Amino acid sequence: MSAVTGWWDDFFWGSVVVAEVFVVSLILMILFGLIGAAAKLSKNRAAQKIAGAYTIVFRGTPELLVLLLIYFGSAIFLTTVFQYFDPSVKFVDIPPFWAGSFGIALIVGSYATETFRGAFLGVDPGQIEAARALGISNLKTFIYVRIPAMWRLALPPFGNHMLSLIKDTALISIIGLNETLFAAEQATATTGKPFTMFIVVGGIYLAFSTVITLTVMVLEKYANRHLQVAR
Amino acid sequence: MSFDLLLIVDSIPKMLVGIGLTFELLVISMVLGTALAITLLLMRISGRWYLVAPSVVYIYIFRGTPILVQIFIIYHGLPQFEFIRESIFWPILSEPYGCAIVALTLNNGAYVSEILRGGVLGVDRGLLEAGSALGLSVRQRFIHITTPIAVRLAIPAYSNDVVSLMKSTALASTITLLDMMGIARTIVAETYAPYEIFISLAVIYLVITWFIQKGFGLFEQRMSRYVRKEA
Amino acid sequence: MSENGTQPIIILENVDKFFGDFQALSNVSLTVDKGERVVVCGPSGSGKSTMIRCINRLEEHSSGKIIVDGNELTGNVKDIDAVRREVGMVFQSFNLFPHMSVVENLMLAPKLVRKTSKAEAREKAMRLLERVRIPEQADKYPSQISGGQQQRVAIARALCMNPEIMLFDEPTSALDPEMISEVLDVMVDLANEGMTMICVTHEMGFARSVANKVVFMDEGEIVEMNTPAEFFDHPKSNRTKEFLDQIIQH
Repeated sequence: MSAVTGWWDDFFWGSVVVAEVFVVSLILMILFGLIGAAAKLSKNRAAQKIAGAYTIVFRGTPELLVLLLIYFGSAIFLTTVFQYFDPSVKFVDIPPFWAGSFGIALIVGSYATETFRGAFLGVDPGQIEAARALGISNLKTFIYVRIPAMWRLALPPFGNHMLSLIKDTALISIIGLNETLFAAEQATATTGKPFTMFIVVGGIYLAFSTVITLTVMVLEKYANRHLQVAR
Repeated sequence: MSFDLLLIVDSIPKMLVGIGLTFELLVISMVLGTALAITLLLMRISGRWYLVAPSVVYIYIFRGTPILVQIFIIYHGLPQFEFIRESIFWPILSEPYGCAIVALTLNNGAYVSEILRGGVLGVDRGLLEAGSALGLSVRQRFIHITTPIAVRLAIPAYSNDVVSLMKSTALASTITLLDMMGIARTIVAETYAPYEIFISLAVIYLVITWFIQKGFGLFEQRMSRYVRKEA
Repeated sequence: MSENGTQPIIILENVDKFFGDFQALSNVSLTVDKGERVVVCGPSGSGKSTMIRCINRLEEHSSGKIIVDGNELTGNVKDIDAVRREVGMVFQSFNLFPHMSVVENLMLAPKLVRKTSKAEAREKAMRLLERVRIPEQADKYPSQISGGQQQRVAIARALCMNPEIMLFDEPTSALDPEMISEVLDVMVDLANEGMTMICVTHEMGFARSVANKVVFMDEGEIVEMNTPAEFFDHPKSNRTKEFLDQIIQH
């Protein structure tokens, strides 16, 4: 374990990067998921088709492929454009942080689309009817009846999506993001102790996923508090 | 910047050379992984703490860490230890092919085990009580009642898992294997044409996904032919 | 001791059952003689289902004694198996195995538990299907037949094991009204053939015409026990009277 001394700093900052990617991609993932679900549920045929294509493409393509395509694709595009104006430019890219966060959000967002759509459809129509019959407006029904019910249904799969996000962060190291796995590879080069370093990375990711799992458990308990069966 | 169709036509056959390796990784890991999963499941539901605990810990670790990290630990990390280099497993573990299969199997086993457990939990308790009342032993109930029903319930999640496993095989390219992804990356490195290559590769993966989903869909239909669909 | 001096086939002595803090059965004592038909009734949550489920050990009683055909129910697996071979059960929700055809449902237990041959098991199954009047449904699957037919299959399935005692846990409560009588008819036939039966039910007509003994339970206790005539015409306890008022209304 002494091999790791001197590298704790790098692992720490790498972990910070992982957390940052998580926050950014989580927000984007929710956004993509909601837009996708709304498109699929809408009456607009074009929107449905596009959302359908979105889910099919991003659920059936390897994550690594998506990241490489987004990163190198955008880099080639940007480099070409910039070189047009200034031939001395060598390489322009979208920073791996943003390309990567965007990429994994797109991927997990395609799963989230199905989750949100399923949660929306899973709400008991009887509740909605009852609310409307009581004279509650469309908007208020949506906010006070529909969303709480949806949230309860979506929470368990949503927890899994969050776990996917955090684990996919490791893939972004392949396009150069300086997070923990990246730090471990550098550490391995100098210390010659790959197992130790990668185990540390494993431990860091395990810690992150544990925190997420525990948070989801607490949220699930809260969301279901009114359903405790009285014996 | 043009879309080089000739390049695509030229590259697709080259990438398809890797399809054999992709399928080998997929099928072998799936078969071994499912065998491992069944073992883990039986341990998990055995009720004996010394079997349940290791199984729970194993599943927790392998589902809580990124598969890329697991691959790196096995391929880059294990050679750090002399006892590994001198063990009977070294011929397998010194080769990227062997390491990829080991990593994918160990990882997939954890996920499939949870999927099968979901199926087992979904079996109506009343059916097991009827079996008890008829005098069937625990083992008989598990074989004749639980297993057929649990398998049918698990098919949708299992088919999603097979698709995930297929996507994970692309990560073998990070440890030098020349599956479809590996070949694609080498072509891109030479030609600087990420769009053409990666997009066509994505199409190939999507086609494979389509076949996998269709296959399982038919299988599920057949297994469900006498089950009345809930209205 | 029953009238002809032999031991009762079922004895419950001071049985308590707790689910955590909740007491489902409170000092329940009951004897059933061979050939007797007992109907158990009472409001929801009175413990009636719990009581009969303790008899074939689907629930474990917390204290007291339960003896079935000479076998006392303890934690001993051999005793439990011995009891389950003698006791057949019919459930409110039928619990037919959905992945097996009707005849396969009937054949499963005899083949596995009594090691009967396939041919013998099939022959017995067909005979019983005739007895419950649906032999033509033998190769259908549960999802393809009506609720009343499913419950009759469930009865036949229990009978395939040659039980000495049949337990019925609200057998008609999940059925549409027009299918109740086909199931009750089968149960009446069984009673007339001398089967020992304990039946938890709300079908008071059945109780009046078939039962030797009616037991009323409330809040985990046996409140009153009598012959049908006495029970329905001269109920003793107030709780019994209240209950009868509520159900006989309709």
